[in-house]
Amino acid sequence: MGLFDSILNWLRSLFFKQEMELSLVGLQNAGKTSLVNAVATGGYSEDMIPTVGFNMRKVTKGNVTIKLWDLGGQRRFRTMWERYCRGVSAILYVVDAADRDSIPVSRSELHDLLTKPSLSGIPLLVLGNKIDKSEALSKQALVDQLGLESITNREVCCYMISCKDSTNIDAVIEWLIKHSKTAK
Amino acid sequence: MAQPLVKKDDDRDDEAEYSPFLGIEKGAVLQEARVFNDPQLDARRCSQVITKLLYLLNQGESFTKVEATEVFFSVTKLFQSRDIGLRRMVYLMIKELSPSADEVIIVTSSLMKDMNSKTDMYRANAIRVLCRITDGTLLTQIERYLKQAIVDKNPVVASAALVSGIHILQTNPEIVKRWSNEVQEAVQSRAALVQFHALALLHQIRQNDRLAVSKLVTSLTRGSVRSPLAMCLLIRYTSQVIRESGSNSQTGDRPFYDFLEGCLRHKSEMVIFEAARAITELSGVTSRELTPAITVLQLFLSSSKPVLRFAAVRTLNKVAMTHPMAVTNCNIDMESLISDQNRSIATLAITTLLKTGNESSVDRLMKQITNFMSDIADEFKIVVVEAIRSLCLKFPLKYRALMNFLSNILREEGGFEYKKAIVDSIVILIRDIPDAKESGLLHLCEFIEDCEFTYLSTQILHFLGIEGPKTSDPSKYIRYIYNRVHLENATVRASAVSTLAKFGAVVDSLKPRIFVLLRRCLFDSDDEVRDRATLYLNTLGGDGSVVETEKDVKDFLFGSLDIPLVNLETSLKNYEPSEEPFDINSVPKEVKSQPLTEKKAPGKKPTGLGAPPSGPPSTADAYERLLSSIPEFENFGKLFKSSAPVELTEAETEYAVNVVKHIFDRHVVFQYNCTNTIPEQLLENVSVIVDASDAEEFTEVLSKSLRSLPYDSPGQTFLAFEKPEGLPAVGKFSNILKFIVKEVDTTTGEAEDDGVEDEYQLEDLEVVAADYILKVGVSNFRNEWDNIGPDCERVDEYGLGSRESLSEAVNAVINLLGMQPCEGSEVVPPNSRSHTCLLSGVFIGGVNVLVRLSFGIDGPKEVAMKLAVRSEDESVSDAIHEIVASG
Repeated sequence: MGLFDSILNWLRSLFFKQEMELSLVGLQNAGKTSLVNAVATGGYSEDMIPTVGFNMRKVTKGNVTIKLWDLGGQRRFRTMWERYCRGVSAILYVVDAADRDSIPVSRSELHDLLTKPSLSGIPLLVLGNKIDKSEALSKQALVDQLGLESITNREVCCYMISCKDSTNIDAVIEWLIKHSKTAK
Repeated sequence: MAQPLVKKDDDRDDEAEYSPFLGIEKGAVLQEARVFNDPQLDARRCSQVITKLLYLLNQGESFTKVEATEVFFSVTKLFQSRDIGLRRMVYLMIKELSPSADEVIIVTSSLMKDMNSKTDMYRANAIRVLCRITDGTLLTQIERYLKQAIVDKNPVVASAALVSGIHILQTNPEIVKRWSNEVQEAVQSRAALVQFHALALLHQIRQNDRLAVSKLVTSLTRGSVRSPLAMCLLIRYTSQVIRESGSNSQTGDRPFYDFLEGCLRHKSEMVIFEAARAITELSGVTSRELTPAITVLQLFLSSSKPVLRFAAVRTLNKVAMTHPMAVTNCNIDMESLISDQNRSIATLAITTLLKTGNESSVDRLMKQITNFMSDIADEFKIVVVEAIRSLCLKFPLKYRALMNFLSNILREEGGFEYKKAIVDSIVILIRDIPDAKESGLLHLCEFIEDCEFTYLSTQILHFLGIEGPKTSDPSKYIRYIYNRVHLENATVRASAVSTLAKFGAVVDSLKPRIFVLLRRCLFDSDDEVRDRATLYLNTLGGDGSVVETEKDVKDFLFGSLDIPLVNLETSLKNYEPSEEPFDINSVPKEVKSQPLTEKKAPGKKPTGLGAPPSGPPSTADAYERLLSSIPEFENFGKLFKSSAPVELTEAETEYAVNVVKHIFDRHVVFQYNCTNTIPEQLLENVSVIVDASDAEEFTEVLSKSLRSLPYDSPGQTFLAFEKPEGLPAVGKFSNILKFIVKEVDTTTGEAEDDGVEDEYQLEDLEVVAADYILKVGVSNFRNEWDNIGPDCERVDEYGLGSRESLSEAVNAVINLLGMQPCEGSEVVPPNSRSHTCLLSGVFIGGVNVLVRLSFGIDGPKEVAMKLAVRSEDESVSDAIHEIVASG
């Protein structure tokens, strides 16, 4: 029975193989590359080097292959985010919830990005990272400070996660898989 | 209407092979490039599109900023594909597009990932691209990886890192210099390409350190270099070291010569050739040193590979200029190359043979050439004609054979350029070899009987008009000339009329008969022909009697227009029709530097028919314009000579100053070209303070300082001295650069308000006798020598003391006098005991000077010299002697 089941799963994965493309953006040191690692392997490393440009990663979860464009968060890359967000299934916006000073900048960069006509209608998943730290904002505070309520023309969702402790990473993956089916 | 055009295209398509990219369009390809954004990538198709884009770029198609950016970003999306071929195209595309720095940085992270990938192809190419796009700050981040890559066991990766190092060295030398150990290790690599690249990089790193280069060469010439390419590099570096060290004169042995000679026995032809060429290019190479190199080159001459034959014959051609005797051994092999299928080889072989041949071999050679002339194309025939011309000038006694050859080929089929070259050559021979005049003129006459080129006909008619009447029997040319009036087009008829008139003007006995002919021309159908005939009939007297022609008329007919045509044209354009007639005397006669050369050798220059006098070098022009733009120098008169710039500072000092000496009749102007090489400084009120106490005949009259001298933008300050008129006053001047220095904030570029006065010691400057002599060559020294005559000749003998060699003594005297060596006489054949050197020049005041130097050397290297000077002015002849006596 077990063998039969796995063969059926494998066949199903052949026929129902899903692909999705995601863009990961957010200010520098928000934890984008860490998130990719967490989603792909579940690993975590304390000392990461800043991403100069972008990293392209392909991750397979269940029968979904996810292409991840992990973009650098430094100021000089922000104007180029839009080019890598065009036509993706969803935009993941990562915020360092523990760095309260950076939230206003994060908010304005997010809203700037969403005004781009080429990105209209693309679902947005906002992730408040680093909730393992004590000074991290609550979900409601983050939603308020980022002004997520004002975004009306697309699906918006917000999770609080910790890449370090792998908190809520499974919820994120679930959300992604769900959207891969509706996307294409 | 469009029919023939289409047909023509079809014809061409049949012949040419189709390029798969023929006729692709930028717009369409840019549309196709959208496949890069597809969610499901087709790697093959993407590769094809990139190939098309690269093709367009290489064809010179330019992309707008928007297009390039769009393509670049969509290409970066292809990093998602793992297809090796496609990734390679992506690398190429990024390198070729080379977008702006703020955009290209987006691929940095991906490239760094590839640089550490397991796939060697990724690593090598990522290194190349990354080094191409990177800036200094990023470089320090990736330096560690690059150092590792240099010693990587995969040769492709190591080469990529080494080549990148060569590129980075231009922008960030200090980083690359830290890699010396790794590069040195790579030099020992077994992979040929790695060794080659490593050696190139190592040399580049050390190139400014002469001692280090010498050490490098010393250690490597002991062996361990296996790659032929690296060997070639090593040979080049070795000859550089030899050049800089100078030969060891005590023993006559040259450092590293044994190494070069050993390379002649290398198994790779490339290395053998490189070594042979290096030996032939050694300065002051002796015939003993040359022999082995010539021997291998001779072997190459009979190689089956065209490239080897070409390389060898080209090198021998160069050697033949300085050591004709050494090349004569190869003459037999060279003669077989005359019929080589490759035209370049054949032409080089002929010209070499003509250089090495002696007077006795000329006839045989001419026979050889005659045999194959019909087989080669016009452009090579022209080369041959030019070689024959110089040969004839070298051996004037052989003119008969050579002139016959020229007249024979003149009768054969050929294009305009070829025919023009022949006619030019004959004209030059007629001018320079008096014996050749009569036969040469007759050859030209025969040629115009059947000449399809109007231009050549008119030029020859003009030339006949000048030279013909001076021959022993002018009347025999009349028939040829008058035939033109019957047979040719209007342009040629008109020139024939002018030529007839010239005969009539000079040869009084012919005048009545010329009048009859000219009168017949009055009924010509063409206006110009009739007008000319009428004009000449009137100016020559018109009554047909045998009288002497007036001088005015002769001037009118033969005198050249002493006004530059350009000036005449502008004057005529400015002339407004009015009662007042146009006055030709109002046209300015001065044209930049031209009158000097014209005055020097009217009609004797080695230019052919109608060839414009070779213009003076443009620098002289530029100097003259610069000086004339400064009002203070206006009354100095005409610039006589400007020297080459003399450096007054060492290289790489704070301020770089060189000086150009401008000589006027009564003045000398020093033009100091100053460059400030310190970004943090602004110099103001820059001037040069000169102490002329060692130059008694000079008095400072004027100083023009430079108001401001910012970083890296050269400026000039001037100093003018008065000196005795027309005399070659010499003297030594010590210089101090004086200025006010102001600190500059390099970030804002603004200078502080307060400056400090400062001085900077420059090297001394000398005005020497050679500054007063212009290098002007003459085409036929003997003719000129005889023309000037012995009236103002001064002869004396001098002992030059002990000298290294005869050629060193010859060069010393040439440099002292600053005159132009003639007929290649500055080259002393090796091992000769005596030598004659011919020099020509123009002395200040515009006096032509010719010098004949006879040198002799005896056993203990004592050199004696006999100096004979001829000029139009005996004081000038004396002055030349004084220069030598005091030098």
